[in-house]
Amino acid sequence: MTEFLAFFKTLTPTGYLFLLLTALTVISAMGVVTARNPIYSVLALIATFFCLSGHYILLNAQFLAAVNIIVYAGAIMVLFLFTIMFLNLRREDEEAKTNLTKIASVIVGGTLMVMLIMIFRAKSSQLPVGSTVGFEPNTGMVENLGHLLYGSYILPFELASVLFLIAMVGAVMLGKREAGDRHF
Amino acid sequence: MFPIVLLSVFAVVLLFLGFLKSRSVLLPATLLFLVAALVANFLDWNKTYLYFNSMLRTDNLSMVFTAIVLLSSFLVVALSGSFEDDEAAQPAEYYAIILFSLVGAIMMIGYENLVMLFVGVEILSVAMYILTGSDKRNLRSNEAALKYFLMGAFATGIMLFGMALLYGASGSFTLAGIASYASHAQQGLSLIFYVGLLMLLVGLLFKVSAAPFHFWTPDVYDGAPTIFTAYMSTVVKTAGFAALLHLLAASFTYVYSFWGIILAVVTAITLIAGNVTAVYQNSFKRMMAYSSISHAGYLLIGLAALSAQSRQAIVFYSLAYSIATISAFGVLMLVTRQRGMQTLSSNPLSNESFDAFNGLAKQNPLLGLAMATSMLSLAGIPLTAGFWGKFYMFSTAVERGQIWLLVVAVLMSAVGIYYYFRVIIAMYFRDGATEPIRISPVFRYVLVAAIILTIGLGVAPGLLQGLF
Amino acid sequence: MQPTQDVLIPEVIQQIPLTYYLILSTVLFIIGIIGVLTRRNAIIIFMSIELMLNAVNLLLIAFSSYKSDSAGQVFVFFIMAVAAAEVSVGLAIIVMIYRNTRSIDVGLLNKLKW
Repeated sequence: MTEFLAFFKTLTPTGYLFLLLTALTVISAMGVVTARNPIYSVLALIATFFCLSGHYILLNAQFLAAVNIIVYAGAIMVLFLFTIMFLNLRREDEEAKTNLTKIASVIVGGTLMVMLIMIFRAKSSQLPVGSTVGFEPNTGMVENLGHLLYGSYILPFELASVLFLIAMVGAVMLGKREAGDRHF
Repeated sequence: MFPIVLLSVFAVVLLFLGFLKSRSVLLPATLLFLVAALVANFLDWNKTYLYFNSMLRTDNLSMVFTAIVLLSSFLVVALSGSFEDDEAAQPAEYYAIILFSLVGAIMMIGYENLVMLFVGVEILSVAMYILTGSDKRNLRSNEAALKYFLMGAFATGIMLFGMALLYGASGSFTLAGIASYASHAQQGLSLIFYVGLLMLLVGLLFKVSAAPFHFWTPDVYDGAPTIFTAYMSTVVKTAGFAALLHLLAASFTYVYSFWGIILAVVTAITLIAGNVTAVYQNSFKRMMAYSSISHAGYLLIGLAALSAQSRQAIVFYSLAYSIATISAFGVLMLVTRQRGMQTLSSNPLSNESFDAFNGLAKQNPLLGLAMATSMLSLAGIPLTAGFWGKFYMFSTAVERGQIWLLVVAVLMSAVGIYYYFRVIIAMYFRDGATEPIRISPVFRYVLVAAIILTIGLGVAPGLLQGLF
Repeated sequence: MQPTQDVLIPEVIQQIPLTYYLILSTVLFIIGIIGVLTRRNAIIIFMSIELMLNAVNLLLIAFSSYKSDSAGQVFVFFIMAVAAAEVSVGLAIIVMIYRNTRSIDVGLLNKLKW
């Protein structure tokens, strides 16, 4: 505990910002999982994405921070919202899963979390952080990422289009209304 | 590399062929495309290439795995003639998705970078989610698709967390970079590295349905349309094991002492869970699902031992397993369809049970022979390909000195004989009201080819040796 | 005046140990796992999986920034792209099921025994 207090005193405003963002991220993530109404879940998830984008900016990954908002909060979550509203799922049905299974899974998850955190905090898992001499501050800039993406990573980049074609064909095939089907 | 390019182009062509009025052109076109890809696959024979900044590797091993995957999908597609009569089916889309998914399988076989592995796994998985749910009005198919999708995405998340940790520890996504980090194992690696490896393995074992991550398999295989179950249980498994083999052999041999024992325990659990549960099944299709879990167990023996022979053993086993499984599912499709017309009952449970096979061999000797051969091969009876597959697998375990694993595996193959012979007994020694089943010529050729391949490889297993 | 090397390094990297980011993303990841295990609404399970993927993204970006190596951030691109494709297929499956059963409760899907 004293170690933590000492750490607390050394912090600058950026450090406090980190702690604040972390707290917000965890709270909104819990909101996603616990909310009764699916729409609140979506909103909590969007809040989580914004907090994560804040983290990315702190970590000097500005481009990904923007992409995160555009792709995740902008596109993916809107898709979720559309589906929820189309299907009219605003009313949460009775959660019939017994409390026993819930408690059991929380215990399992909690144990896993404690174990992982213990492992990550252990002395033998510390990673040698790169020396400050060779530090490249432009890591997260568009220019750098672009060179890498269209250079070394060109093959997986191109082949990701195959995945999109599959997803497109599949989503249309499965989601399309057949004659005689209900609209929703 | 050539098959990847060809298959991507051909799949797009197939989508456009779907506009044609006549559906009869689709099946021959797909078969032609697969043959073209198979031929192009061997253009690089005996050469080793690294494509695009060491993203993709082609060598003889990867070409052989690619050939197995292409051959399996050729056989599956050849058996899919019934789409032409089915009003609700959309064969152009199905075939296009199959060809696209093969791109993912080839990426999983030849990857040199974890990005390629991840994208490949996802291409194959997303295609499988779609094909599982392709019978849109059928609740069982819907349910299987949703379960497969949720479980598969969950496994992807775990796999990705593992990749991220490996990257954090070793600072690289390339297999060579990870191997060079792991080579310092003597000086002690970061614990993060081990956690990462474990999570990556869990994700991949999930995809090949090894116990204790197999619980989705029976439901998904049972609910999916039979033709796609045949595809899933062969192509996905072969590609998954090729990926695991390459991952472990290329990057993690230095830390074998860590994962060897874990994988051996997983192997034992998989063998026991798959074989013992298969005994209690009444539906043939569900039995085949559990049998595919147990065969994942046999394939894992070769991985857990990871010796010089493992590559050959895994290649041979996956070939033998794929051929036998496809021909078994082919016969099942014919029987189910005929029973459905006969009894006019749409209840698939009774049409897929063991009783559906009663007396089959008397009226349909070819179907009986095909089913018997594939059951014998799956059970590992001598003079079939499956026997030599098991033999090679077991000898890798002997080489590594894992005798306890060998004992479990032999006991479990004895259990396996029981449920495979149930089918044979039903076909040859029970009476059932079956009439001759009309078999289309393509179907007949596939079944005959499967019989010849299974027995040929069983009599002369050396045919494949020394190829790679 | 030349800025010193220290100035260019983001403050957060100088002050916060990498372990904190590891712990944060582990916590997010586990929250996602618990969501998958406890909820029955298919869409919420799906969102929990998205949460897990985002934990991975955060982890990759943290590693990549601390090591000043761009490869990790390129991987995040791929995860985002794949997640988008997965979401479209997943939601199509959910819509298809809803059409047939009027429900997306995972517990009510029992045509096949688990």
